[in-house]
Order: sequence, then structure tokens, then C-alpha cells
Amino acid sequence: MSASKAQDSRLDAELQQALVARLTAMADDELILGHRDSEWTGHAPLLEEDIALANIAQDEIGHALLWLQARSELDGSDPDELAFFREVGAFRNARLVELPKGDWAFTMLRQYLFDAFETELLSRLRDSRYPPLAEAAAKAAKEEVFHLRHSGLWLERLALGTDESRSRLTSALQRIWPYLPQLWQPLPGDAALQRAGIAPNPADLEQPVMARVSAALAALGLEPPADAVPNPGGRDRHGEALVSLLVDMQSVARADPGVDAW
Amino acid sequence: MATAPTPSGEGPRWEVFKQDTPSKPHQAVGSVHAADPEHALLMARSVYARRPAAVSLWVAPAEAVFAVTAEELAAAEPWSVEEAGEERLYQVFRKTSHRRAMTFVDHVGEVSAPGPRAAVAAARQAFPEPPALAWWVVPTARLSASPDDEAAAWFEPAADKTYKQQSAYGLLAPKKPGRSKGGDR
Repeated sequence: MSASKAQDSRLDAELQQALVARLTAMADDELILGHRDSEWTGHAPLLEEDIALANIAQDEIGHALLWLQARSELDGSDPDELAFFREVGAFRNARLVELPKGDWAFTMLRQYLFDAFETELLSRLRDSRYPPLAEAAAKAAKEEVFHLRHSGLWLERLALGTDESRSRLTSALQRIWPYLPQLWQPLPGDAALQRAGIAPNPADLEQPVMARVSAALAALGLEPPADAVPNPGGRDRHGEALVSLLVDMQSVARADPGVDAW
Repeated sequence: MATAPTPSGEGPRWEVFKQDTPSKPHQAVGSVHAADPEHALLMARSVYARRPAAVSLWVAPAEAVFAVTAEELAAAEPWSVEEAGEERLYQVFRKTSHRRAMTFVDHVGEVSAPGPRAAVAAARQAFPEPPALAWWVVPTARLSASPDDEAAAWFEPAADKTYKQQSAYGLLAPKKPGRSKGGDR
């Protein structure tokens, strides 16, 4: 990083702490979703989709790395250490992304909802006054256009395909919907980040994300469940699903912690 | 689109044409199974353009491709052309070299003809050199292209993903004894 950029990037202690927390939440969402997507490798319904979803999983994990590298510049943390040696209680992902992969309809609907959220988030982060964040967001936003196209295509085909595909999609909608609002739940430091022009307040994403999602569902004759009770709790609360995911995801790194190459 | 699903449920087969740079022709690189043209393009991007380089993709249902080799043409002389159909545009692809390559035919231009056999005849007249080893003609209306306004999202990210290259991994490097990457756990 150039000296002038480092100048622009200097933050006071309060903002630095707030940004570390926000970056951790963003990275964990991407990392855990990416891992869930990767669980389809070798199991997707079509060979071509197997490759497509493995690509998307790599992209999401790549986004996690972008955010962990930005965090590293602030606090010197090691991205690999955070991904592969952190305990479950220290993860800050939303519950939405840790839910077991379910069937193809569940996976594609979750991906679509997350893509819609991420698209709105990235479009605002690109204007961040903190240059490393704006640059990383611009990079990730490019890929997100394609992700949204892919998951949006499946949403449409599952909804309008067969009775079975539509009923699977409807079930997935019932199951996932309560977990959606946690994506835009603010962390304690988010208000300060917003005031400083560093990151949007996630609460402000609810309206644009819901507008986008509701329009897409309405176009397919689908409605969000009216009686959904939002899943309570913050990003520090996780289900058993994350425990078993981490056992799987971290097993290779933990089996041989000092290794430099495979 | 008149493409019937296959018994295996994987959808019809689509031929994929990839353009590596704006100055190069679209080249046949292989095929994908997909439900419809839009799905086929997304699958083509994932299967054939995840590594550089690509700037554009076309797909066509495999059953819309009329293919004929030089040997088949020679055996069928005089080449009969059907006159019944309505005049329409065909995109013409040809193979001109036995060089071993990852691609098959290259796009060379378009012709107007009442049917695929007439399109091949028109192509032989329009593109006589170098001699073609094989011809493919595809009705222009059956080709679908990746969206130009999303080219950045479709193709640019692959360029800096070195981790998708095998060479990015020190697969044969020995483990260095006694060195730990770990910090505070």
C-alpha cells in the first residue's frame, strides 16, 4: 500500500474497533456461505451446476479473504488463523448462512437472498471514504452481478418449473424467511462507521433489499410467509449446524497446523 | 425453444462458442447441458470461462447445428441444396487445420440461405480459402450471446484468480519441519 493511501486509511481507535467488527461479520457471512455452497461439489443435480456452484463458492470465500485482509491491515490478524483456528463462539456470521445446505431449492433461494443483500451492501461500500474498503467492494461487486443472475435464474425456474420444484421452493421460503432480517441487524459500532462515511448502516439496507426481493417473488406469484417470526439474537449466537460445519471446514488445517504446502 | 428434455433430466445439449479477445473469432470449445438458452450461457461461463481469457460467449442448441466434413462433401458431390425453406441468416464456422487444439471450428462469417445445406453451399462460395476440413452452420436466430453490458462481471474476475491455476499451488513442496504459522489461538 502506498504512503498516501495509508494516510487516507488512518482511523481512530473507536472507528478501527467498529470496522474490525463489521469486517468480521462480512467475512464470516461469505466464508460460511461459501463453505455451504462447496458442500455441493460432486453432488449438484447437473455436472455443469456442480462446476458453477463450486465457482461461486470460491468467489464467496474470495470475498471473505478480501474482508479479512482489510481487517488484517487494521489489527494485524492472520486471515488463515481466523478462518481455520477460531472457535465457534467467535464467529459473527448471520444464522442464515450456517443453516444446512438442504435441497437445491433451499440452496438457490438462500443464495439469491444473500446475493440480493450483498449487491445492495457492495453498491454502498464502493463509496466508502476508507479506500481499502471501497476498492475491495468494487472488486467483489463485479462478481456479484453474475451471482445474482445465476441465483435469480434458478429462483425463476424453480418457481415456474414443476409442481415439485415450486413446492420445494415454497418450503424453503418458509424455512429461510425468519433468518433474513439478521443480515441487516446493526452492530454496536455501525452508527459510528456510518457517520464517518466508512460503511452504510446495515439497517438502511432492509428497504432496498426487501424491495428487490419482494418484486422478484411477486413476479413469480410467490409471497413471503406472513406469519414469520424473525429469528432472535445477534451474530454471536449460533446453532449446532455451525459447530459441525467448522469441524469439517477446519479439520485439514488443524490436522497439520505448521504445514507450508500440500 | 423446441428443445426436448433428455430422459436423464439434464436438459438438451448446447454447443458453446468462446471468443478469447475482440480480434479473434468465436471458437467451438465444447458443450453443456442446460434447460434453456440463458441457463446454457451461465453454464458455459462457469465451465469454459472460469479461467482467462474470454470476452464473449455464444451458445446454440446442438440440434440446430448442421455439420459436414470435407470428406462427406466430396462423397456427396454434386451437393444438393433444399430450396423449400424461407431465406434466413446462418452463422458459418469452419475448421481449417489439423493442428491439435482445445477448439474445433472457428467463426468465419454469415450467409443467407433457405436451409442448412444451401447455407453450406453458400459458405463454400463465400469463404473458399483456406480449404475447410469441416463446416458448421447455425441459424443466427438459434444463437444466444452473453450480454455485452455484463461482460465485466462475466469475464474480468477470472483474470486475477491465480488460485484457479494449478501453478498457484506448491503441490510438490516438502513440509518444512519445525515451523509453525500459528499465533495466539
